[in-house]
Amino acid sequence: MASPATSLPAIPEVPRELERQPLVLNQRSLGWLSDHITAVIEGKTPKWWWATFLVSLSLLGIGTWCVAYLISTGVGVWGLMIPVGWAWDITNFVFWIGIGHAGTLISAILFLLRQKWRTSINRAAEAMTIFAVMCAGIFPLIHVGRVWLAWWLLPLPNANSIWPQFRSPLLWDVFAVSTYFTVSLLFWYMGLIPDLATMRDRAKTKIRKILYGLGALGWIGSNRHWSNYEKAYLLLAGLSTPLVLSVHSIVSFDFAVSQVPGWHTTIFPPYFVAGAIFSGFGMVLSLLVPLRTLCRLEDVITTRHVELMCKVVLATGSMVGYAYGMEFFIAWYSGNPYELYAFKNRAFGPYYWAYWTMVTCNVISPQFFWFKKIRRNMVLVFILSIFVNIGMWFERFVIIVTSLHRDYMPANWAYFRPTWVDIWTFVGTFGLFMTLFMLFMRFLPMIAIAEVKGVTPHADPHHPLGGAKEGGHH
Amino acid sequence: MKKTAPSPSERATGPAYWRSLDQLADTPEFREWVEREFPEGASEFSDPVSRRHFVKIMSASFLLAGFGLTGCRRPEETILPFAEQPEHYVHGVAQQFATAMPDRATALPLVVRSSDGRPTKIEGNRLHPDSNGGTDVFAQASLLDLYDPDRAQRFTRGGNTVRREEALDQLRSIATKFAANKGKGLAFLSAHSSSPSRARLEKALRETLPEARWHQHEAVDLETAGHVASRLAGRPVRPHYKLEKAKRLLTLDFDFVGAEADSATLIRGFAAGRRLQDSHGDMSRLYAVESLMTSTGVSADHRLRVPSSAVQAVAAALGAQLAPDNAALSELASRSPLPGGVDRKWIVECARDLAAHKGESIILAGHRQPPAVHAIVALLNDVLNNRGATVLYTDSVPPAGDLAELASILKAGQVDTLVVLGGNPVLTAPADLQWAETQGKAKTVLRLGYYEDETFAGCQWHLPAAHYLESWGDARTGDGTYVPVQPLLAPLFGGLTELEVLARIGGLDVTRPHDIVRETFNGMAGGSASDNAWKKFLHDGFLAETGGRLALNVSLDGSEAASILRAATVAPGPSVENLEVVIHRDLKVDDGRYSNNGWMQELPDPLTKITWDNAVTLSRKTASEIGVKNGDVVEVTLDGRTIEGPVWVQPGQADYSLGLAVGYGRQRTATGGTGRVGHGVGLFNAYALRTTRSGSIGTGAKIRSTGRSYKIASTQDHGSMEGRPIVREANLDDYKAHPGFARNMDLESHYGAIPGFPLDAEGRPKKIYENPYHAYETRGSQVGVTLDTIIKSDVHQWGMSIDLSACVGCTACVVACQSENNIPIVGKDQVSRDREMHWIRIDRYFSGASEKAAPEQIDDPQVINQPMLCQHCEDAPCESVCPVNATVHDAEGLNVMAYNRCVGTRYCSNNCPYKVRRFNFFDYNKHSVEDRYKTPLATGHKGSWNLVNWFRRPEEHHTVPDDQWELLKLVRNPSVSVRMRGVMEKCTFCVQRIEQAKITQKNKAGQSGDVQVPDGAVVTACQQACPADAIVFGNLLDPESRVSQLKKNERDYGVLAFLDNRPRVTYLARIRNPNPAMPDVRDNPLNLQEYMDSQHANPFEAHHGAVEGGGHGGQAAGKGGAH
Repeated sequence: MASPATSLPAIPEVPRELERQPLVLNQRSLGWLSDHITAVIEGKTPKWWWATFLVSLSLLGIGTWCVAYLISTGVGVWGLMIPVGWAWDITNFVFWIGIGHAGTLISAILFLLRQKWRTSINRAAEAMTIFAVMCAGIFPLIHVGRVWLAWWLLPLPNANSIWPQFRSPLLWDVFAVSTYFTVSLLFWYMGLIPDLATMRDRAKTKIRKILYGLGALGWIGSNRHWSNYEKAYLLLAGLSTPLVLSVHSIVSFDFAVSQVPGWHTTIFPPYFVAGAIFSGFGMVLSLLVPLRTLCRLEDVITTRHVELMCKVVLATGSMVGYAYGMEFFIAWYSGNPYELYAFKNRAFGPYYWAYWTMVTCNVISPQFFWFKKIRRNMVLVFILSIFVNIGMWFERFVIIVTSLHRDYMPANWAYFRPTWVDIWTFVGTFGLFMTLFMLFMRFLPMIAIAEVKGVTPHADPHHPLGGAKEGGHH
Repeated sequence: MKKTAPSPSERATGPAYWRSLDQLADTPEFREWVEREFPEGASEFSDPVSRRHFVKIMSASFLLAGFGLTGCRRPEETILPFAEQPEHYVHGVAQQFATAMPDRATALPLVVRSSDGRPTKIEGNRLHPDSNGGTDVFAQASLLDLYDPDRAQRFTRGGNTVRREEALDQLRSIATKFAANKGKGLAFLSAHSSSPSRARLEKALRETLPEARWHQHEAVDLETAGHVASRLAGRPVRPHYKLEKAKRLLTLDFDFVGAEADSATLIRGFAAGRRLQDSHGDMSRLYAVESLMTSTGVSADHRLRVPSSAVQAVAAALGAQLAPDNAALSELASRSPLPGGVDRKWIVECARDLAAHKGESIILAGHRQPPAVHAIVALLNDVLNNRGATVLYTDSVPPAGDLAELASILKAGQVDTLVVLGGNPVLTAPADLQWAETQGKAKTVLRLGYYEDETFAGCQWHLPAAHYLESWGDARTGDGTYVPVQPLLAPLFGGLTELEVLARIGGLDVTRPHDIVRETFNGMAGGSASDNAWKKFLHDGFLAETGGRLALNVSLDGSEAASILRAATVAPGPSVENLEVVIHRDLKVDDGRYSNNGWMQELPDPLTKITWDNAVTLSRKTASEIGVKNGDVVEVTLDGRTIEGPVWVQPGQADYSLGLAVGYGRQRTATGGTGRVGHGVGLFNAYALRTTRSGSIGTGAKIRSTGRSYKIASTQDHGSMEGRPIVREANLDDYKAHPGFARNMDLESHYGAIPGFPLDAEGRPKKIYENPYHAYETRGSQVGVTLDTIIKSDVHQWGMSIDLSACVGCTACVVACQSENNIPIVGKDQVSRDREMHWIRIDRYFSGASEKAAPEQIDDPQVINQPMLCQHCEDAPCESVCPVNATVHDAEGLNVMAYNRCVGTRYCSNNCPYKVRRFNFFDYNKHSVEDRYKTPLATGHKGSWNLVNWFRRPEEHHTVPDDQWELLKLVRNPSVSVRMRGVMEKCTFCVQRIEQAKITQKNKAGQSGDVQVPDGAVVTACQQACPADAIVFGNLLDPESRVSQLKKNERDYGVLAFLDNRPRVTYLARIRNPNPAMPDVRDNPLNLQEYMDSQHANPFEAHHGAVEGGGHGGQAAGKGGAH
């Protein structure tokens, strides 16, 4: 393998101000990209991977036990009660669904907007989306009192001629989330095909050859394949784009359509979508910032990538902050004392600590991203991204629990406390998420090799490094 | 369904012969052989006389095998079919029997529903002249005691089980032994009773055993007024109160709602005297003087908060005002200083008001109060001409010796055999008598007891008592009416009644309780009454003529009263160093007799809302001076006796007065005690503090914080209404001037604020979206009758009206609902997690409980109760959010739950503004309280399903619940399904009763087509139980129905009606009737004031263009809103 540094051809000077910062640093060659990205899979399993994987697997085990306990014994093992009929279950659901937003946004909307920087992060983000939606999907399923009958939410023809109730936002959820999951999964898999073929071609063991080969669906990289691929990719991107907006809008309808003060607000759909993107990017940062170092992929997931994501976090975080303020304004402006009380109670009631945790994490912490120095400091970015995750969990907790715990009739007011099962079920979903993510990064290329190659200077025929020039092709 | 009829076993093959020649001859030997083949009781078959008895026994015993249970999918039944169908018996159709619940010196007339031979619901007897069919809370709960698995089920001698016959032999040997020596050495200790049969037996026994000693003991003696009146009248009398005739009432530590005898009758009378038909009506006024915050204080228009020991001073001062020429009274008044903080003007004005209503006022003193207070009250009622008008005297039984006397003769060794009939003296006797030890001085103690409780351990002989629903007996209600206690089933465990034990000890010829009662009845009804008269007595549940004994003309002896007053001691006012302890009857477990009753344990106390505990209640000031808060454990010492209990700060309680409820802190031990439910409930046993000297009001107590704390499960955390117009109330004068104020109070009354806002025909803002319910109506009429009738019945539309002025918060409705609708109990842990299951609850709001309130408002709050249940909204928010259509609207306006369809998302509950939906977080009906958190995946789990058993021993895939579970199941109403875990449930408006009434009406209508159920034919369980008649249910389409009439009342309003849910339950605003001359009068009820201050609204003004009569109600207000 030729060292790229030794065989660099002379490049004519381009005025500095016209030069775009390359998306892959150090003029890495296409071959280098293939080698380095697949090295995560083909290389020796690093110790940190085992450590993370085993911890995740144990958490998954605990979570599984909690779910088994819950289903076998009753929803009462959680801390739920009347009036707080939903608490950590739906908080976690919305939290994970929100995280699942970044992937499709990156892969679909940024694709349509020709944001080429997306190629370095979209594969991991999409995987994250799928795993997050899986984690999310667990909660609405297990939170119902009779899990074994949850399939009644599906519009299946049945002997009783009873259909689901199409007026219920929960039913819309079923459709929205399942559609989103299906399309995200297809989209992700579509993008994987050329890379799976690469993996197949590079495979040294029979079993890998067979498995990757099966996944690659006979991809040979012909023009026809590429042409079909591009068209399908574009179509799926178009299909996914409205879904990005719809899923969280519909999730927000669970609240907005009800008449609980603090839930019944028209601002919810856009506010939820902004929040979802915010939390999704927060999670992408939390995952990729350490991974780019651990997997030595700093040239592919560059500081510029991180910076761009920080800017998205800053923008969406500010939108969320605006929404928090606007909720208060409308509560006051509406003249509805029940509404006003709900919001006052959020900030100054028994759950004030949750509210101010949320505000600190979601409104204040992203504001640090105004500073370039902070955006480029990987340690700080990682810490702030964790804050975003914490804050967004609390946002859902605040919306759900503080609205329910004190609604119309003061006689019903109560204070919700989680049980250990609540906590460990949630932790267990992190176990599931990280287990799946660890498996993903170890067995599938976590960066879209083919797509990244497409945005390197080498792929640009007008670039001095591009085209079928000598030494440029690998 | 597998049915196995037991039959004599026969060989399947072989030639068929007659079984024997005996069979042909029908010899006694053959009959005996047949009998042996059958279960116990089947031998009754051959005795034609007792076939009725057989039916009762069989129904009880095969019900024990799980017959008739709903909720079990496929019960395996082993039943014996009727050889001959009993007359009037229709399988599955419940029957009603009149009976009565004896309660100390009085009784409550009842009608009890029997479902296939087992009593399943207790209701009041509305035919009875002094009843409206309401009951108190204890009567409702007493049903569960019948099926209590921990009740005494065996005859014991020295703690060892013996056969019933041996115990009966023992009774016979006592009879023989004492017949010889005229009863010397024989002592009886019984509880109060109004039973004429018992009185008759006692009289007979006194004649045959003149040397025997008779003593009575009641843990909480409610007959103080009677004792004092008897002394004054010179003959045994018992006062009876006609509260409905009183326009002015003054209660002195007299909690008629929860703590006094005959509470159901008193509540009925009180509510009747306060009922306002319209704004021109008049209502009574209640003054309450009390130390504890009670439901009576809640209902009062003026409440004076004084320590119980200072009530005497208040009574004396009042007496000095009303009867200034009574020297003894003046003397007592002069030496009793008024307690600190009491404005003399309060007493002066109250006295003036009472004096202005001579003959239509009443003064009542509580049973705890010393004789002097009762003497003052008797005198003052005389002065006010109330005797014969609102206070009547009935005949009573001569008093027996008290417990202290019995203790002294026991200690003197004069008692050879002590017969204890009922009661639990080891628990309840004054602590200084050390009853367990004292009782042991008798050679033999024989006891008839319902539980193997604390007293059980020291008894040589213990006989199980029959429940009143299993026993023949009789009683007198408060007004003296003679009522039967008629059994609905044979004693489940062969228990005996008091009458039978007395008759056997007396060696009488007639020992069958039925025959004893019949004999008494014959005497009552004049000579030998006919069978028809007896049948009518049992059918009606009372003997009509006996109520006439009321107007006893007695004269009270002034000199006797004077001597009582002169003997009265005056206690110094309590202080933080010298506290007063009020040991009171509990509103749930009574004196401890309902300790093992889960319904009662889980019933929230009307004021504190505490379940499964008692607490040391004290005022905010006392708490802050001691430095304790809710849940802190304190040590209370009185006369060297100490208890430890948690503190509960009770707004409205007198300063330096501690309230301690009895009946808690009981244990279940190897030698007896409470049952499993009551075991360890409550930290302290208040009886341990009560001595002969202290009585129920102890002074000189000390309190000390232990530094520990204790978790108390309360069902309502938040006491303030936060200025929200949820309960609407006004003073009588304001109501008269502005009758429609209640509809002028919530957000809907602001609609007119926008000029030119389009309004609909009812004067409400026009909707952007049509109310779906209305849309159905219009669409129905467009398409034709068919659609209309499918979507909305034009025969019945059900609705309910609750009068907040009448409701006194007695909580009888809560238990009635629990009993009718098979509502499970969940246990203290679940209640503390806010998972109680009651379908109807009583919300209790304190005015001034918000942080901004002035301290005097916290100390002297106004309290309001609001029964809250599913409002059956026409446009129900729960329905539209259920993803599986499990909660839907029916054609008659009910919001119904399809339990089978519910998957348990709980979204309906979240979206319910009233939070009246209840969720089965666990399998409450299948697992005991301790097993809630045990998973069937683990071993050691006892329940319906167990993984280990299912895997290893598939044939035992469900562990068989023990007999106790089976027994408890018998209490269930077969018309209501038992809910499994994971489903939502809520008030159904007693849909089973509605359907029953519709079926009956349809049968009656036949071809005539008149299927409309007449008004009053459907009575919901809560309405039925309500002694105050505060709840009215009926058909809104019938303009003449009571509920339609009430919904036209100006006071009618819907809670949160601005949400446009259109609740079918509406409330009548509460009206208070304060006396403007009183020093504590307020311009407005405090909650209304808080609403007016915080919402900047005045319901007495037509603000923002809305006027009175607007807003939502059952009536389309003509006056509209656009002005």
